[in-house]
Parts: sequence; C-alpha cells; structure tokens
Amino acid sequence: MPFDPVAYAIPVFVALILGELLWSRLRGSHQAYEWRDTGTSLAVGLGSTIAGALTGGLTAALLVWVHGFAPLSIGWVWWAWPLCFVLDDLAYYVFHRSAHRVRWFWASHVNHHSSQHYNLSTALRQSWTGFVAASFVFRLPLALAGFEPGMILACAGINLIYQFWIHTEAVERMPRWFEAVMNTPSHHRVHHAVNARYLDRNYAGVFIIWDRMFGTFAPEDTEDRIRYGLVGQLGSFNLFYVVFHEWIGIARDVWRAPWRHKLAYLWREPGWSHDDSRETSEMIRRRWKSRTPEPNSRDRPVR
Amino acid sequence: MPGALPQLLGSLVAVVAIVAVTWALGFRRAARIESHDEARELFSLAPGGFEPVAIELDRQGRAAIARDRQGRVAVLVPHGNQFVFRLLAPGSPISAEGGVLAIRALPAVKIEPEGDARVWANTDSSDNSG
Ligand SMILES: [Zn+2]
Ligand SMILES: [Zn+2]
Repeated sequence: MPFDPVAYAIPVFVALILGELLWSRLRGSHQAYEWRDTGTSLAVGLGSTIAGALTGGLTAALLVWVHGFAPLSIGWVWWAWPLCFVLDDLAYYVFHRSAHRVRWFWASHVNHHSSQHYNLSTALRQSWTGFVAASFVFRLPLALAGFEPGMILACAGINLIYQFWIHTEAVERMPRWFEAVMNTPSHHRVHHAVNARYLDRNYAGVFIIWDRMFGTFAPEDTEDRIRYGLVGQLGSFNLFYVVFHEWIGIARDVWRAPWRHKLAYLWREPGWSHDDSRETSEMIRRRWKSRTPEPNSRDRPVR
Repeated sequence: MPGALPQLLGSLVAVVAIVAVTWALGFRRAARIESHDEARELFSLAPGGFEPVAIELDRQGRAAIARDRQGRVAVLVPHGNQFVFRLLAPGSPISAEGGVLAIRALPAVKIEPEGDARVWANTDSSDNSG
C-alpha cells in the first residue's frame, strides 16, 4: 500500500472547516455556507476517498507497469523529489485543462464545480469516477520518465492537499511574490467562477506559472462579483445526481445524436452540440463581449 | 485493510458533526431577494448576462421572473440560500391562478407577484376568463 498523505490530512481539513464556519458566522457572511450544500460536499468527499481506496491499487499497479518500460530508473535520490513534484504539477495542469475541455474528462471532474458556494468544504467535492474516466493516463509519462511510482503518488497526494486551503473567501490576497508563483485562493476563485470572463481559466494545481506560460491565466477582478458553480447550475443537493449527472447527460446525447456526431459528444468541449443548440464557454464569452459596450483594459486576455 | 472500517466510521461521524454545526450556526436560511435591484443584479450575473426590461418579484422574495428585450423569459429559482438562473424555452407555459404564477417547467416555483400576475401568463388557465 503506497503512502497516502491525504488520510493524515483529513483531521486538519475538519478543523479548518470548523474554523472557517465560525469565522463566516462572526463576520455575518450568511451565504458563505449552506448546511445541505456542506453535507453534499462532505459526502462527495467521503465517497471519493472510498472510490480512491478501491482503485488506488490499480493506479499504482499501472504506474509500476509503465515504470518497467522506463529507459532509466531515477530511484529515491533526494533531488528526484522536487523535480517529480514540479513535473507532477505540470501533469496535473494538463489533466485539469483536459478535464474542462473534453467532455469525457469533464463528466468526472464536474462535481468539483457543482457547488454554488466557495468554501473549504467545496474542496472536498472530489471525483468518484476519475479512474473510470482514465484520468490516470496524465501521470503515466512520469513513470515512463523513470520516477518511482510511490514518489509520483506521494507528490499527487501532496498536490491535492495543497489545493484544499485555496478554496476559501477568507483570504483576499497573499503577498505579491506568492501570488506570482503559487496557486492561491484568489486565482482559484477565478477558476470556480462562471462569470464569462473567467470561464476556463486558472487550471493550476500548486504553481500558477503554468497558466501564465500557456495563456490560460486570468487575475481576479474585485469589481466583478464572482458567481460560483456551473454555467447551468444543478439546483440539486442530491449526492448521486451531483456525481453522475454528466455521465447520464453524455449517454443521452450519444443515444440521440445522429451517427456521425455520436463520438463528438465524448471528446468535444462541454456545451458543444452538433446543432448549436447549446453554448460552449467561448460562445458565452463572445455573447458577453458583444453586450459589453466599452470593453475596458481588464477584459483583454492576459498573457 | 484492517484500519479501513474505523476510519470510514470516524469520517461518517465527522461529516454528520460538521453538517450539524453548520445548521446550528444558522446557515440554513432560505434564499431571499430583497429588492428589484438585487433581482436585476442576480439576472445580470447569469452566464453571458441577462438584462431584464421587466421584473416581477415574489411578494416574499422567494423567486423572481423577468423578460429581456428579445422577449426571453427567465426565472430565479431558490436553491438553499442561493438562486439558480433558469431560462424558459420560448412559449413555456405560465399560468396565473389565484394571483399566483405557476411555471410548468419549474413546478417547485410559486411566484406571488405584487403586480398583476396575468401580465406574465400565457395559458388559458389564468383566472381572467370570468
Ligand atoms: Zn476545475
Ligand atoms: Zn477547486
């Protein structure tokens, strides 16, 4: 059984959620939490740890198998750790970008975005179907590059733990140097926003540099009130609906679509339809831009 | 895995405890729209924007309905302490019975307008026949 840092972090998560609850209450932020929403978030989180326990061994076995093909084995030398962590974070960026741009991966990731709230409990809305969606493929190149499977899994776990604390409105801005390099509450609020200008931005896990490098970065604008969740809000606290609704949607679309369009409902971006009856994030952004009379400097894409 | 079951039970207890604390701290209020301005802002926050030219608020702020310049009709549906924006399909049936708006596509929503409910109705079931 590989070392799983997430299991050790759970008590800390619980303590921090209680702290944020009290802080929100004292500040009078009545909408920061909602008890049923929190229940759904925590139940999704618990379910995802069970799903992870069931499939974690398979992921590890796959990494070991691919590691066998590596031309050289890096081993457990100390310098492999920071290198593995940074490259694993790049792999996470590629995974996460695909998770928003390919509906097949989106179906598994969407539940992370399904809450209209943005608090520490939202962080626990993790996927149940990540293994089924084959999200592990994004980490296989690391094993092929010669990194130890155990090291890759530990780095992935630490990456996930890091992402917990950024799901909060309690932190406005970190110091400038930190905001420049690291993923922060401010950057990740943008990622969870459905405001047109923020759609499909800030895919970072730990380091925000990937978004800056690959042109997907957008800074948070305090003038533009953030609305969290999904473009088409679910309006449901039902655990199983939250977890499986997009898979059901895909099945329905593939079933109904004409033959030559069926597969496109799996690999095209969320919101794509063969008859343009729905909206992708680009279409929403275009519509928003066309109705914004004087686009100010903030609306230009940030590179 | 010998430690798995106690860990699962412990997690379940923690989940129930956090939800109970959230409830006890008062995070259980229903969503409420206080004013037309607030409704307008909530409509405009819909993805890509929705600019109402006419808004009708529920008397107790539980929901709102609006029309934009293109004649599209949208509704703010309460969900916990938030609202969900729902754009109605063109011609989606809306009836006004006893001064309350009922939307067939959104059966859970009841809007008791301050103004005349019949303005928003598009079905014969409205009580203006008699
Ligand atoms: Zn995401
Ligand atoms: Zn997140």
